[in-house]
Amino acid sequence: MLALKKPLVPIMALALLGIFAAGPAAAQGTLVVSSPQDPGSWDPIDTFLVNWASVATNIYDGLTYRGPDGKLGPGLATKWDVLDNGTRVRFYLRKGVVFQDGEPFNAAAVKFTFDRLLGPEGAKGPQFSNYNAIESVKVIDDFTVDFKLKKPDPVLLVKLGGYGAMIVPPRYIQEKGEDWFNTHPVGTGPFKFVSYEPKIGIKLEAFDKFWGGRPKLDKLEYRFITEPATAVAELQAGRVDLVIPPTIPIGMISTINSSPNLKVVSVPGLTVLALRFNTAHGITQDLRVRKAIIMAVDRDAIIKTILGGQAIPIASFQGPLSFGFDPSMKPVPYDPKQAKALLAEAGVKPGAQIQIDIRNNDETFLEVNQAIASYLKQVGINATIKPYETNYMLNDIIPNGKTGEMFQQAWGGWTLDFDNTAYLMYHSGEKWNPYEKDPKLDALLESQRSITDVAKREQILQEIARYSADHAYEMLLYNLNSIYAINTRVKNFVAPPDSRLRLTDVSVE
Amino acid sequence: MSAWSSSLRARFKTFEFMVGSVLVGGIVLLVLASYFLYPDGGETIDLGKRLLKPFVDASHIFGTDSLGRDILARLVVGGRISLLVGSLSVAGAVVIGTLMGLVSGYYRGFWDALVMRFADIQLALPFILMAITFLAIIGGGLVNTIVLLVVSQWVQYARLVRGSVLTLREREFILSARAIGVRTRGILFVHLLPNLTGPLIVLMTLNVANNILLESSLTFLGLGVDPTIPSWGGMLADGRTYLQNAWWTSVFPGLALLLTVLGLNLLGDWLRDSLDPTSGASK
Repeated sequence: MLALKKPLVPIMALALLGIFAAGPAAAQGTLVVSSPQDPGSWDPIDTFLVNWASVATNIYDGLTYRGPDGKLGPGLATKWDVLDNGTRVRFYLRKGVVFQDGEPFNAAAVKFTFDRLLGPEGAKGPQFSNYNAIESVKVIDDFTVDFKLKKPDPVLLVKLGGYGAMIVPPRYIQEKGEDWFNTHPVGTGPFKFVSYEPKIGIKLEAFDKFWGGRPKLDKLEYRFITEPATAVAELQAGRVDLVIPPTIPIGMISTINSSPNLKVVSVPGLTVLALRFNTAHGITQDLRVRKAIIMAVDRDAIIKTILGGQAIPIASFQGPLSFGFDPSMKPVPYDPKQAKALLAEAGVKPGAQIQIDIRNNDETFLEVNQAIASYLKQVGINATIKPYETNYMLNDIIPNGKTGEMFQQAWGGWTLDFDNTAYLMYHSGEKWNPYEKDPKLDALLESQRSITDVAKREQILQEIARYSADHAYEMLLYNLNSIYAINTRVKNFVAPPDSRLRLTDVSVE
Repeated sequence: MSAWSSSLRARFKTFEFMVGSVLVGGIVLLVLASYFLYPDGGETIDLGKRLLKPFVDASHIFGTDSLGRDILARLVVGGRISLLVGSLSVAGAVVIGTLMGLVSGYYRGFWDALVMRFADIQLALPFILMAITFLAIIGGGLVNTIVLLVVSQWVQYARLVRGSVLTLREREFILSARAIGVRTRGILFVHLLPNLTGPLIVLMTLNVANNILLESSLTFLGLGVDPTIPSWGGMLADGRTYLQNAWWTSVFPGLALLLTVLGLNLLGDWLRDSLDPTSGASK
């Protein structure tokens, strides 16, 4: 009978946590954040995880900075000039900045950072290819550097504000070594590193000599809580002040909002979701079948009910914040009659089978897919859902073209530029495009990569969006909000669209 | 043992049998009836009627889940998966395990060593580790879940059968059968196997209950059967996020599991006492 407890254990644990949710208030001046993932290394060149940036945005600075409003502004560079038709950028650096270990920030640190990123150390990591348009960095004087580019990169300035381009301390890394730096990060940002326990959490404290003025919080702690229900229980218990995405399941929003001292903050996010089609095998090779499957599903109803309005419909694989978004494009309307007619025209008999592959870690998305399967049944298509372990799906099933007729694609698009999404999704031979080879689309994708004329580039990106919608490469689902749950004792929190938080101005009561 | 306590024990045995058979019989009947009661397989969604409370709407006695599906319909239909996985996986494990046990117990020597070392290795692997590796590599689904359970459990039967065969093979009736020239196959299946049915049946009954729980655990973890098919483990997993505001989405499938496993365990317990001459209760 002991075995009886197995499936019930998580539920009982939950119930207990709920019962004992009386709040020991966190210490004055300390903010505790729950993040769903430990990135493992804090070195900017080792990561591509947004939950790395949720922490590291407080430790490091880049030459540019993009705040929660999505607008690009000065960071460690106060201004810059784009020269030589976009193949050279001159940055004027901020003066009086020091790293958290005391060494000064200057042009040599910038050169060191990019030599490291583009050298053998950086080539080992996933950030290298984002920045390989940079040919070299030249020190002009102590506070001026020139970036020489192999070809113009229209998204470079945005990319200098995040991830691999964070400025790192040369002396510290040379003295302590790469391995030490992975777990003991130092930057020029508002909070300085205190301690890190893998899979448990990381602690930071205010950096008194931060160039922008000392932050209002004394201490900033992150706890890595993967289980959404646990994160919410800790929030209710007062042991966590802020739960960042992607954590809060839609179904828990009303529970959180019903507590007087908690609230949910939801802002338009960058994550877009789609079920992409296998265009090489099965009935989905036929464009009419793909269109019919899209029409058969009432995506608006799914957004309004299952997602509780925490998402907006999309007409291309990007949200409205993305450069290349075309507001005149409209999603394919829900039309089961037309869907049935198209299926009949394509010769698909009622009872046809398709398989939908999804990741096994997203409860809300599973619900969405159960609803989709039910809509498809109404037009005579029997869909089965196959959940895969996330890494297995991302590194084997999709890249090697082993998916069913449809497969989940969630995409972050942090550069807010459709190129980052479209090129990787649609260009032939890319990891995320195992099935489609279309020379016309390839040419379109390549043509916009080195154009610096903003209007012309936007036009091409919109053309790509329309082209992919016309060919129905995916059933576009929605652009999901970023959902934060927060204790009301936290003041001045501005929710960023992608959980890259900078908590300089935040305070707690 | 005093007369008083043995009469109480006998009454408890009757009680065990009554409750066990009513529970198991009732659940099996309901699950079989589900084909007539719910021809839609409990899959009709109604996004306008999400998370209805139980005992309010007559057409949804146990309420609805987060997609507006009737909980009662899904419970009854979901029982199909539990019973199917429970019985088929045990049947598979019994067939393989018994054959292996018979062969290694009767022949001894090389085959015995091979099969038993293999069994030892497998017993050293934690089930969940094996399950996650196995299902992550070949993928989930109904058939794969059953195969996994068979693969992980034939060892128990093999060991049980081998142990009994080791003692039985030296007994006079086997020796005499051999002496009059009965072929090995005859000895194994006609003379040895019937003597093993008692303990096998008991182990099977208890294992069905255990496998139903394992299947639910795996499905709960997202490794087991396809989430579009209603199953108790899947319902528990779906209901988890709604536990604080819609308890009925996970409490009812939890209860269904509890009652099924309780019924099977009571029956198994009763069977063991009735079939095993060395246990005092049946006397």
